[in-house]
This record gives sequence, structure tokens and C-alpha cells, in this order.
Amino acid sequence: MNLIDLYIGEVTRRLPEKNRQDIALELRSAIEDMLPEDPSEQDVKEVLAEMGNPAVLASGYRDKPMHLIGPRYFDLYISLLKLILPIAITVTLIVVIVVAIFTNSGETTIIDATVSLIGDAISASVNAAMQVFFWLTLVIALIERADRSSSQAPMTMNSKEWTPDDLKEVVYIPKEKAISKFEIAGSLIWTVIWTAGYFNADRLLGVYHNRGEGLEFVAPTFNQDVLLSYWPLIILMLVLEIALAVYKWREGQWTRRVAIFNAVVQIVSTGIIVLILTNSKLVNQAFLDEISSVFGGTSGLSWTIGAIILTVVVVAVSDMYQGFRKAMISPAK
Amino acid sequence: MDDSLFNSLSTELRRGTLTLAVLSQLQKPQYGYSLVQLLERNGIAMEQSTLYPLLRRLEKQELVTSSWDTTESRPRKYYVLSEYGKEIFGQLKNEWEKTSQELYNLLKGEGPDELD
Repeated sequence: MNLIDLYIGEVTRRLPEKNRQDIALELRSAIEDMLPEDPSEQDVKEVLAEMGNPAVLASGYRDKPMHLIGPRYFDLYISLLKLILPIAITVTLIVVIVVAIFTNSGETTIIDATVSLIGDAISASVNAAMQVFFWLTLVIALIERADRSSSQAPMTMNSKEWTPDDLKEVVYIPKEKAISKFEIAGSLIWTVIWTAGYFNADRLLGVYHNRGEGLEFVAPTFNQDVLLSYWPLIILMLVLEIALAVYKWREGQWTRRVAIFNAVVQIVSTGIIVLILTNSKLVNQAFLDEISSVFGGTSGLSWTIGAIILTVVVVAVSDMYQGFRKAMISPAK
Repeated sequence: MDDSLFNSLSTELRRGTLTLAVLSQLQKPQYGYSLVQLLERNGIAMEQSTLYPLLRRLEKQELVTSSWDTTESRPRKYYVLSEYGKEIFGQLKNEWEKTSQELYNLLKGEGPDELD
């Protein structure tokens, strides 16, 4: 095989079968036209250099683009990535946390469990992000190749070209008024953690003794029967928190309605928490015994519960206040 | 660095005119290499890797027709304007003359005194 044959082969192997022969013939004749009589290898190389990279030449023949996602779909692609990635990661984190809490056998300590949970959470999030990235890229690249329209105008989120009417859909939100997706994702994850933790408190929260071979779980803090008896209220809280998160996500900013909804959720949750904490049978007797053997009494307990209640109330009130304050900020003109 | 920016801008400026340049030389049948020489003689340098795919695209768009000439020592593919190609070429030519006149006026309006 001489250089010219190799060059033509490099071009035509990138082309559809039906065009190959014709293009090969034309290229050969063109290359030979450019060569002097009885060419040396150097002459051939010069001419081939002038013809350029075979991949570039072949891509000129094919009408297909030499990019994965072009300008027409790039903006849509990035917008969708920004929209889907946080949702996918949040959902993944929630699933990982719920699975971890419910499968916790109680044999590992809360610290070990947390460390392995963080590892799982990171790898699952990375995995989810890669999946979203891969599939979205693939789908958009395929759509771009299926798009037969000759227009080059970029696509918008409603998969049409931009018109001035699209401006009506744009909501400008001042930064102080906006509810970030991180905040919503964080509060959802937190809601899931405490709910799952609540129903498994007897395996997670309690007194641990160090008996040589690692920590041993001795006595749970709470009477699980008492905790479980409140399940309808806990489910109510869970539903309210999730509904609030979804509503915040949709609105994207603090409005009067969001602030009122938030206040209702805060009042209901605080009420339920106070109700549970003030139940005299809440704390496990075995736990109390352990505490008195360490601290010589349980007098600090009511103080501790009082402090927790105070903290919960202060946090709730401050959250409600912040909600209304942000809702009062007038939207930019 | 300025040089490479200038080169990319000037390539971009010329790119759109290549089709017109090629069409203008296809009133009579030409094969690839003769077309290259013809263009070069008129000062239009064109990458080979641009020309051959361009000719094929013009054929697909039915602006030119092609035929193989096998009478000579090596077979050559000749291209010539079709009727439709002549019509489009006429329109493009007018468009170019109009544009270049407009640009000429614009550039002249800038005045030689503003250039150092």
C-alpha cells in the first residue's frame, strides 16, 4: 500500500458506503493532478499535507456535525443539567440515608454508622450525577441529530425557539428573597433523617459502654413504645415538611403564602415536639438508671428537656420571623 | 497572539465568499485541480479539504451537475453550473455587489483621517 492509498482509505472509511468509491476516485485524481511527473515520497507527503487531516476532509463530506451538542441545544442542555442534577442528588441522598437507618442492626455504633453512611452517600451521589450526566447528554445528542430543521436558532426550555412572549415567564427574584435549592434539599434530607431516626431511636440513641472491643449499646434513651404511639402526629409532620419543601421549590422565593405555610408547619411541629418531650414516660427507666450511676442523680434531666424545648421554640420563632421578613421584601421592578 | 486573532477573523470573513467564488468559476466545466488553479490565479487561496466537500455539497443541492471524463489518461470529475445553479449564482452575485457597495460606503465613511 502506498501513501496515497492509505490516505484515501483513511478518508473513505469515515464515509457512508455508497459514496466511498466515487469520492475515492475523485480524490485520487485530484492528488495525482497535484503531483509532478514521477513523484518522490517527499512530493507525495507535501501534497497529502496540503489535502489536510483525513478526519477533517471526511467530516467535510459528511453533513453530520463534528460535535456532540451544538449551539442550538447547548443552552437547553445546561439548563436541564442544572435542574435535574440537584433533584437527582437529593433523592439519592434521601434513599441512601433511609436505607442506612432502617438496615442499621444496632451492632455498630452511631459513629461508625455515620462514617460508613457518609462514604455511601458520596459514592451514591457521584454515581447519580454521572448517570444524569450520561443519559441527558446522550438524549440531547440524539435529539440534535434527529432535528431536521435547517434553523440554527437555539432552543429554549419549552423546546421552541425564543420569542418575546417568553419574557413573561421569567421571574426575577431578588437574592435575599430567593429560596435556594440547597436549602430545600438540605431541609428535605434533614426531615428524612430525623423521621427515620425517630422510628429507630431505640437502636441509635442511648448509653454506650466501652468494654474493650469497641462500644457496646447498653440502654436506649427513649421508650420506643411511647415514641411509636405518636406515629400519626409524626407522619403528619413529615407530610407537612415535604409539602412545604415542594411548595418552596415551586415558588422559588419567599411570598406571604410561603411564609404563612411555613409558620403553620413550624407551629404544628413545635407543638408535636413539645407534646412528646413532656410525656413523663418518654425517657427509658434503664437509661435513667445508667445516668444516675454516672452523674449520681437524674435531677439534670428536667433541666435538659426544658432547655431542648426552649431551643426548639426559639428556632421555630426565628424561622417564622425570617420567613415573614423575606416575604415583605418587595420584588424588584 | 493578535496575529492569530486576525487570522481567524479574516478566515471567517472569507469563508462565506468561497461558495460564490467557486460558483463563479463553474460557468464552464472544471475538475477539482483546474478549479484550484483558476482560483489561485485570481488570488483566492482555498484549502483542498474545503473545496472537494464543497463541490459535492453543491452537487447535492443541485446547483452543479457532474460528469466523469474517462477519455484522458486519468479519469476526472467535471463540475458545471446547472440551470438552477445559474439562477442562484445570479442572485448571489447581486447580493454580493450590493453588500460590498454598502460596506465600501461604510468603510469610506470612517474617513482616512481617523486611521493613523
